Parts: sequence; structure tokens; C-alpha cells
Amino acid sequence: MKNERAIIITTGVIVGLIASMLVYFGNPANMGYCIACFLRDTAGGLGLHNAKAVQYIRPEIIGLILGALGAAYAHGEFAPKGGSSPLTRFFLGFFAMIGCLMFLGCPFRMLLRIAGGDLNAWAGLVGFAGGIYAGIFFLNRGYSLKRTYKMTIAEGSLLPAAALALLALLITAPAFIHFTKAGGGPGAKHAAVAVSLVAGLAVGALAQRTRFCMIAGIRDFILFRETKMLYGFVAVTVAALLCNLGLTAATGTSFFKLGFVGQPIAHTDALWNALGLFLAGFACVLLGGCPMRQLILAGEGNSDSAIAILGFVAGAAFAHNFGLASSGAGPTANGQIAVVTGIIVVAMIAYLNTYKK
Amino acid sequence: MKQYLATFFSHFGAIRFQKLCTQLHLMARLAPVPRSLSSSCGTCVLFEAEALSQDDVSKLITPELEQLVLEENGYHTLYQAEE
Repeated sequence: MKNERAIIITTGVIVGLIASMLVYFGNPANMGYCIACFLRDTAGGLGLHNAKAVQYIRPEIIGLILGALGAAYAHGEFAPKGGSSPLTRFFLGFFAMIGCLMFLGCPFRMLLRIAGGDLNAWAGLVGFAGGIYAGIFFLNRGYSLKRTYKMTIAEGSLLPAAALALLALLITAPAFIHFTKAGGGPGAKHAAVAVSLVAGLAVGALAQRTRFCMIAGIRDFILFRETKMLYGFVAVTVAALLCNLGLTAATGTSFFKLGFVGQPIAHTDALWNALGLFLAGFACVLLGGCPMRQLILAGEGNSDSAIAILGFVAGAAFAHNFGLASSGAGPTANGQIAVVTGIIVVAMIAYLNTYKK
Repeated sequence: MKQYLATFFSHFGAIRFQKLCTQLHLMARLAPVPRSLSSSCGTCVLFEAEALSQDDVSKLITPELEQLVLEENGYHTLYQAEE
């Protein structure tokens, strides 16, 4: 048990260090990893939305899926399964993304923003924990999306195959793929493809071996007073914080800026930061894991998680096509309506799958 | 006494199973599924009982039960739901 805790803390430290170093190598500030942002950028790269500032096929996403696939294969854990309320999972993924893009980051980036000194992210953490509580309320009363079933190798291999196809598109960069032009926004800020890909593969493999999940830390503590994953959660933050401070001292460039105002790719509206991650936390508990965990499970052959990822991508495309995503200037009215709608829809999904079965 | 571990298709299945164990006077508690047993997350029930016969095992099978194992120098499967 203690050994497992040590492994998870070590994983958290490695993940936090890699995340911080990815910013040094070129990723946007406090965004070594952000599954929501990276899926949004990838959706833009494929032309699913037209926000020119955020279009790039992120190799980290590809690496996470393929790293998990490799680790699962190596340990005999590639096990295609699915069939557990797929359309419900699509919409949970869709609204989780709407919540993340209100906050401007997934739960992973929430930790990295805290590690970068962005105090707005603490409001997100409060909302995130509240959303997890809301999900647990229904879990304890009978919420279930029904069981999964064994699927074919072909079904379980489709998303990893799609990740390989994305890699081919990234490398060959045909004319129909959209990349943000240099200086044009966060989409133009990225580490070299090989660096990002290796970072994704490493974290994907580690997360598969440890079941690393941003939801599980808080959820398991509330449900079982189990602290293992919570230690991992803290380890990511502390490691990234220390690495940011070290990079600041070593390079003379600021990788840490304490405060609320002028934080990179963030806004200062505490209420909507909290409500955005409330929605994301609520939806992700009902999905069974954070956005990164869905990528890892998809790499293990879980087509339910693959459907949730397609929901994230669709949510990201809608968020930018209809002006739902926040910006540094703050949330939009459309985004506020979408988040409230999302909370209502997710609560209805929770209710209907708890009491009306 | 031997240590048993049951996994489920849903968290609520584990809660119901824990209640069933209590009715059968078995000490049972909820916990995350051990990583050594599965790469999937979820809730398991850990309980202690004298050696379970096939008959005892059949009394514990619920529609939500995915797997029941004996934990003794590794895991020994006593029941596995149809895939």
C-alpha cells in the first residue's frame, strides 16, 4: 500500500516536471499539459472550428493515447470494452469541455496554473471539488451508466489508429490542416513535435500504470478517505511549482507570477472560474475520470472513453464556433448561458440514471 | 478467516453488496479497486469470511457483481461475470 503511494507520488513528480519543462520548450504558459486546450487546438487544426489563435494538432494528445496503448499491451491490459450508455457519455464529455473552456483549462491545467502562481485557479479548484461532490451525491444513490461489455480488437483499436492518423497529418501538414501562424496565439506556441510526442508517450505510459486521474484524488478521498491519488495531485503541483521557480532563477524569464491579474490565458472572474470547473468536475465524475484519464482508457481499448473524447472535441468546436469559450478578457454571455445549461443537463443525466432506471 | 474482494459494474453495486454482506454477518468495507487486480478504476468490497463454498459464492452473486476473488498469495477468481 505504502509502495503504491510512493509510486503515485513519484509519478506525480515526474508528470509535474515534464509539464513545467514543456513550457520551457515552447508550450503556452502554465500549459505544459491541458487536455481540454489541446483537444480544442486539435479540433481547430482539423478545421472543426475557426478560432485561428488555437489551431494545432497537439502531439501530447497523440502521445498520451499511444503511451497508454503501449503500456497496456506490454502488461496484457489492452482490453477492448464499451457499450455503457455511449451517447450519454458523448454529452457528458461535450459539457465537461464547455465547463473547461469557461475556466480556460482542464483539471490538469488547473494544477499547473496554481503552480504558476495564478490565484484565479484556486476558485476553479473550489468549483471542481464542488462538482465532484455533486457527482458523488448521485453515485451514492445508485447512479450508473450500466455495465460495459467486451468489444472486438478492431473496436478498441480505432481511437489509437485515429491518433496515428493525426500524427501523420501533423508531420505531413497537408494544405487542409490549419496551424496558427507564428505570433498568432497560443496555438503557435508549442514545443518541438518530437519533444511533445515523447512527453505524451511517457506520461501516457505512467498514467496507465498508475491510473493517474485528477478526479480520483478528490473523489477517492471523499468516498473512502483514500489519500494515495490526492498525494499524486499535490505532487504534480509542488513539482511543477518548484520547477517553475528553478526555471525562473536559471533563465531570467518568469515561469511563476503570483497574483490574479494578467495571468497567461486566464481571466479573473472567480464565480465563472468556479462554475466552469464545477460543471467539468460534475460531468467527469459521472464519466468515471478526468479528461486525461479518458485518453488513457481509450488507449487501453475502452470505446466508451473514446466516445467521451469525441464529446470533448465536439464541445470544443461548439465552444469556439458559438463564442462560448472565455478569453483573457473574461467569460462571454453565451458561455455563461452554456455553462448553466450544461449544469442543468448534467444534473438531469445524473437524476435520470439514478432514480428513473 | 480469509480475505475476499469483489468488483462491480457500478459504485452503487458495491454499496448494495456491502449491505448484503452485513445481512450475512460478514465484515465488509468499500475501497478503490487495487491496481494489482485491475487497470480499471472503480469501487470494490473487501470482506472476510470462512472458506466460501460454491453454494456460499452463489448466494453472493448479484447482477452488478463483476468479479469475486480470494486474496491469498495473489488473486484466485471464484466468479467472473459473462463478458
